[in-house]
Amino acid sequence: MSAVTVEDHAEDEVVEILRQTMPLQVAGADLLRRIAAAGRRVTCEARTVLYEVDDIADDLYIIVSGEVRHTLGPGALAKEPTKVLKKGDVFGWAALLDKSPRRLARAVCTQRSELVRIGGEALLRALAAEPDVGDVVMSRFATMISSEFTVPDLTGQLRRIHRKLHAGDPQSMNLTLYRMSLWLKSPRPYLMLIGFVLFLGFWYLSVEVWKLPRFREMPGITTVIKEWLAREPTYGLSLYTDEYYKHIWVSVWRVTQAFFLATLLGVPVGLFLGWSRKFKEYVFPIFETLRPIPILAWVPLAIVMFVATESAVIFLTFLASFFATALNTMLGVESIDESYVRAANCLGASKSQVFRHVILPGALPFIFTGLQISIGVSWFSLVAAEMVSGQYGLGYVINTSYTMVRYPTIVIGMITLGAVGYATSALVRVAGDYMMQWRTRELALGAQ
Amino acid sequence: MAVGTLAARAAAPSSAGKTRGAIVIDDVVKIYDPEGAAVMAVDHCSLNIEAGEICMIVGPSGCGKTTLLNAIAGFHEITSGRILLDGEVLCSTEKPKAEPSSDRIVVFQNGALFPWKTNLDNVAFGPLMQGKLTKAEAADKARAMMADAGLAGVEHNYPGEVSSGMRRRVEIVRALMNEPKVLLLDEPYRALDSLTKSVMHEALLEIYYRNKVTIFFITHDLEEAIFLGHKVAIMTTRPCKPKKVLEVDIPHPRDYSVLTSKRFRELMEETNEAVHEEALKAFAAGEKEG
Repeated sequence: MSAVTVEDHAEDEVVEILRQTMPLQVAGADLLRRIAAAGRRVTCEARTVLYEVDDIADDLYIIVSGEVRHTLGPGALAKEPTKVLKKGDVFGWAALLDKSPRRLARAVCTQRSELVRIGGEALLRALAAEPDVGDVVMSRFATMISSEFTVPDLTGQLRRIHRKLHAGDPQSMNLTLYRMSLWLKSPRPYLMLIGFVLFLGFWYLSVEVWKLPRFREMPGITTVIKEWLAREPTYGLSLYTDEYYKHIWVSVWRVTQAFFLATLLGVPVGLFLGWSRKFKEYVFPIFETLRPIPILAWVPLAIVMFVATESAVIFLTFLASFFATALNTMLGVESIDESYVRAANCLGASKSQVFRHVILPGALPFIFTGLQISIGVSWFSLVAAEMVSGQYGLGYVINTSYTMVRYPTIVIGMITLGAVGYATSALVRVAGDYMMQWRTRELALGAQ
Repeated sequence: MAVGTLAARAAAPSSAGKTRGAIVIDDVVKIYDPEGAAVMAVDHCSLNIEAGEICMIVGPSGCGKTTLLNAIAGFHEITSGRILLDGEVLCSTEKPKAEPSSDRIVVFQNGALFPWKTNLDNVAFGPLMQGKLTKAEAADKARAMMADAGLAGVEHNYPGEVSSGMRRRVEIVRALMNEPKVLLLDEPYRALDSLTKSVMHEALLEIYYRNKVTIFFITHDLEEAIFLGHKVAIMTTRPCKPKKVLEVDIPHPRDYSVLTSKRFRELMEETNEAVHEEALKAFAAGEKEG
């Protein structure tokens, strides 16, 4: 390496060179700049040996001008070991292999050549910073090595590179972030924003500007926001009062208890309904009779049955959730393709093993659909229950504010209910994604 | 079983090779009567399948081929007759339903890999459930067998993440993990495009040459049948029984050049008419797919 002169970084030019190589075509400007920053431009005289087989593989090379002869050693099992590389070609990719890589080839300049050298580690780090693009770049390297350099047997090693980029293997996190970034790049968040602005704008105009007849008694948006943010609210409830959080907490706690109770009972009952035809014949007709009865119709009985109001409220909240969970779980079991059960039987699974390894995971997507519905329904019935009895909670707030003519507080209660309800159902969705990574990954593939 | 011997065992053809997996279907009748009216699905069907043979069952869709497969696998009862495996009665008039077991494993038409388990966990499933291997042993064996079948690298993917051709291969490897006597394949390549199909045929033969397991293969594709099979049984449409049994005298191992050979074309000509006749009958009867 005697005749090497180092030139200064003409970074933009290097970026342009990188962009034109096959593996890096897909990289964005930022990534290319980061890679270029890790690179050095060098000029080598003719007959310079860049590396020999078994040297430590540290850098990756890109040809800016000139010509390099690249001869793979017998260990690489290449179909055509010798290849003459020209402008825009990439070599020295052994630097990207796993576990302290060694050179698999000998590379010699056949004429005076200009090259860009990039440290393999630095490149991998740059790619790992943008795993989605990095992944594609790595798979392009794999394609290049197998098709252009005719090396067949590196797939194993390359796959590990490919996987290594997914740092922290629970991929759901990466996937969530990836989806989030896609979402932000799409027009959807802005459309959503416009939707909100239009809706709130209509509220403002109809109540406070146009004063439409039907909206005369409605609290205006400015009144509500002022009340909500007031340190000393006119009607006693705002972001700064402890009372507000107490109401939220009581409602959340009731929903939590009812939801878990409904899940704990509903899932097993649903599994059993789907699993045993006999049980279904006993129970399902009762189910279908009770299910359509609105929660408000249960209020008197609930009060008679439970002396304490708290348990009455929880019972009412629990009821609708339980039906939703049990029913969806049952449908989940029934939706499982008979072939899965038969396959498990063929493979020697016992009845309980079939249940544990086929029925339960197979029904999980439906169970989580049920839980989504269940959490929504539980808020629904909670408010109904709290309006009838109870001393705290968001439903109670809305109802008492009505009787005491505190209209802005009604709206504060409603908005809070919407936000908290949305948050809890998002939590259920995240839990579902986490437990069904096979499905999240499948869906992610489908979306591409 | 010691893990160290696995590679050696996978490389050499099974020592038990020709002695296991002979199926005798003896005068089997299957009558369905779901709505009170009896429908004869299988009519006095007799067929001998030798150990280690690939037997192709050809017939139009809905002719009752799958009924026969279900009887062997133990999913359905037969009405009368008997089915023997290596001389032992699987099912008979007295005991109409066979026990499903890991010596007869089905590869399903639409695939039945568990989508919620990784490919490796799917392959390791059988021995784990039967308690034959520990978790680590099963994983090692599964990894070795997958590598042999060209499936290295997808072990930790879920089935939904790999191509349908690969899924089929994983499913066959999952079956072979249990060292079955018989593989029952129910039109496994039906949903694949013809290019993938040709790759799968050669892959199946390659796996077969290594394992020499008896294969009972249902298809409606005559070309596929003659290319793969030692024996091709052309079935009549409902009720189902062998119309013509053809011994394919093209020597194994075969590859795709067989398709253009003279003998292959002769055999195609010889059987095409019989198959076409049954297809017409099935069409006229308006049988649903199944």
